[in-house]
Amino acid sequence: VRPIDAWHLPGTDSDDAQWRIREYSGGVQLRFPVLGADRVHRQLAVLDAAGAALRATPLRRIVAAIDETARRLGDPDHPQRRALDAALPAVTGYSPAMVRLGLERMLDDWRAPALERLLRAELADPAALDGFVADPTTPGRQVRALGPRLAGHIFAGNVPGVAVQSLVRTLLVKAPAFGKTAAGEPLFPVCFARTLEEVEPALAAAIAIAHWPGGTLALEEPLLHAAELVIVYGGADAVAALRSRMPAHTRLVIHGPRLSFGVVGRDALRPGPARATARDVARAVAVFDQQGCVSPHLVYVEEGGDVAPADFAAMVGDALAALDAELPRGEIPARDASAVRGARDEAELAELAGHPVRLFPTDSARCAVIFDAQPRLRPSCLNRVLRVHPVPGLEAVADLVRPHRAVLQTAAHAGAGDRLPALAEALASAGVTRITAFADAPWPPVHGHHDGQEPLRELLRWVDLDDV
Amino acid sequence: MLHPAGAPLRDELLERCARGREAPLEAALADADFDALALRVFAFQFEANPPYAAYCRRRGATPATVTCAAAVPAVPTAAFQLLDLVCGEPATAEAVFRTSGTTRGPERRGRHFIPDLSLYEASLLPAFAAFVLPAGAAPTLLALVPPAAELPDSSLAYMIDHVVRSCGGPASRHLAGTGAGAAPGSDDDAAIDVAAFHAAAGAAEAGGDPVVLLGTALAFFHLLERLARDGRRYRLPDGSRIMDTGGFKGHRRAVSEAELRAAYEAVLGISQERVVNEYGMTELCSQLYDAGPRDGWREDDPARPRRKAGPPWIRTSVVDPETLAPLPPGQTGILRHHDLANLGSVAAVQTEDLGYAVPGGIVLLGRAPGAAPRGCSIAMDLLLGSDGAP
Repeated sequence: VRPIDAWHLPGTDSDDAQWRIREYSGGVQLRFPVLGADRVHRQLAVLDAAGAALRATPLRRIVAAIDETARRLGDPDHPQRRALDAALPAVTGYSPAMVRLGLERMLDDWRAPALERLLRAELADPAALDGFVADPTTPGRQVRALGPRLAGHIFAGNVPGVAVQSLVRTLLVKAPAFGKTAAGEPLFPVCFARTLEEVEPALAAAIAIAHWPGGTLALEEPLLHAAELVIVYGGADAVAALRSRMPAHTRLVIHGPRLSFGVVGRDALRPGPARATARDVARAVAVFDQQGCVSPHLVYVEEGGDVAPADFAAMVGDALAALDAELPRGEIPARDASAVRGARDEAELAELAGHPVRLFPTDSARCAVIFDAQPRLRPSCLNRVLRVHPVPGLEAVADLVRPHRAVLQTAAHAGAGDRLPALAEALASAGVTRITAFADAPWPPVHGHHDGQEPLRELLRWVDLDDV
Repeated sequence: MLHPAGAPLRDELLERCARGREAPLEAALADADFDALALRVFAFQFEANPPYAAYCRRRGATPATVTCAAAVPAVPTAAFQLLDLVCGEPATAEAVFRTSGTTRGPERRGRHFIPDLSLYEASLLPAFAAFVLPAGAAPTLLALVPPAAELPDSSLAYMIDHVVRSCGGPASRHLAGTGAGAAPGSDDDAAIDVAAFHAAAGAAEAGGDPVVLLGTALAFFHLLERLARDGRRYRLPDGSRIMDTGGFKGHRRAVSEAELRAAYEAVLGISQERVVNEYGMTELCSQLYDAGPRDGWREDDPARPRRKAGPPWIRTSVVDPETLAPLPPGQTGILRHHDLANLGSVAAVQTEDLGYAVPGGIVLLGRAPGAAPRGCSIAMDLLLGSDGAP
């Protein structure tokens, strides 16, 4: 087996470079260059030069290039797709079926229709990215939208594809980009850049991808100082550390740690729909083994429906156990497995001690659905561990989650019926930024206001030209 | 008081432990004898400990179906938080040791009822003597932990108090506690009577008699910091030892084991070959120790991850966290302890501690309560802090 090169540093490769090889299960090997500050500086200079060509490229050509790149990555025989299929499960720890599903859903997001929708959702006239256009709200004024001269990306490793999504956005605003990958997913952005290189070399020349351990100051400082805007994904520690080292003039877009949850109302608890709802809930939990910021940690289930909350929890437990065949959970390290075991043990013992707690499923220890009549919000240890809490009515949910408003994200819902507008209003005011069906919860659309933010507008600088 | 039906087993175990005081420790209980005793202990606990019996029945395990020690159901440590696991009346227990509050909140402190302390003490002494004490000596024991009377909840304070009184030379004493400025009932690791330490260490240096220092890693850290600030260094006599225990969980001044050991050598003159790390749990009556010092480092390297071993009446295995099946040596899993000295509660305890088996012991990798998410999902500790809840 030959190691896969997990970097894309156009214009700075040299024969005397040194490499480090990292081994994963199944004989998968990734090769990383040993980087020094000088290489990062040289790369930043290359990106700066490539930025001119990128800014001169019409938007429609960029959209077409991304679309063609996504189309090629959708071809199972394409060499970069083959590399992803072969290596991503071992590299990320997700099962092959999970990786395949994630790839298919995400590639759709980078096809032309999705990209055009994103542009229309964000910009009254996307042509502002190509030149001055009339401002429809102010006669006599023209506006121009410019991306950063250089965008820095600090990627997280929990969900493969999120890094590419971030690169797609900076490409659309014509910003050259340097992405630092996470140890957990250093490959997909590289395969994307390589495929883009076949399609439109000038665009791929404006992207650099490399991995180093987060916090390696000698490599990170040049990037943080050269970038006009830095987009960071990650846990609280990573985000806080980066924020403290950020130069004052650099703009920062943060996608930090989030908590998502679900709400199930009586309408979804009639005997037939309840099973289907339980399957949707289970799938939202199972996708990416609950590691996504959109993955529900817990579900509030309304009392008084045909199916009681504890029985609904049992249904979700059955559905989650059954999903392990179609969409197997990844192999997880002992530390994570110990956390799942701990959650199950604690629930079982609480039940034994007479607390209003029940543990499902009973025939598999690879996941857990814990019914707990106490509504105290506790985050999951993830890897398919869901808590189910009964609520007397949907209107109780907003108050339960409000204390955590700083970190709330997706509220998945089912069975709210005509109470949905009121529920949405209450959840919005409690801090939630996305309210969606369980089936859609794992797949935030490319044009959505992820984390309550504006996916393209937050990258832009506007220029007004008056009196023309 | 121990459930009366356990008296014969207790007496037999007391006798086994007493044999352990004559070297070698392992000879006190052969493997096959462990298995036979473990089954009898299980049968007793199944009868005398109703919540444990209920836990076992849920697994279809009864004395009729369990035929080997490995099949005895192990209770997770969380069980000590939720159930009264005791063979006898809880109110008549001679001691109740409590775990410290964790990220799961103070209401979730585990309680270990000890109906009869004689077995705890009988298990402790021979293993402590074998793993910690220099051969054939009754050295001065200096404890950086308050006396047990000040910390009635702490199994560690009880353990150290008992060895100071039972194994130490006449100058043995506690150097921590209210006398050193700690608030009554607190296990403030920083409250060490440094003047008393100077006196004791100075006397040991002058007289040439070895001392054994006992304490948590955090207490040692504070002591070393004070000594460094005072510019004081000692070369404690040959044969002196350190027994440290615990980590720096939740403490902002974390240092690595290697750094701590380097400081022991630099400031106290005790090289890392003479440092014994102890592994104990509130939920266990027996302890494990670094085996290297006892075995003259014939099988271990003091600078490498250290092998831990204990007396033969505790058997520690490594199991798969998902299936609970035993794992082959070298493979990381969670630790399962089968401690026959836990006669008055539950002998088989499953932990969330990670480790792997090696010939003659296990290597501990640390505790893992709640794994950290890989990216932008929320970490448990972070959220528990975000609403001011404990």
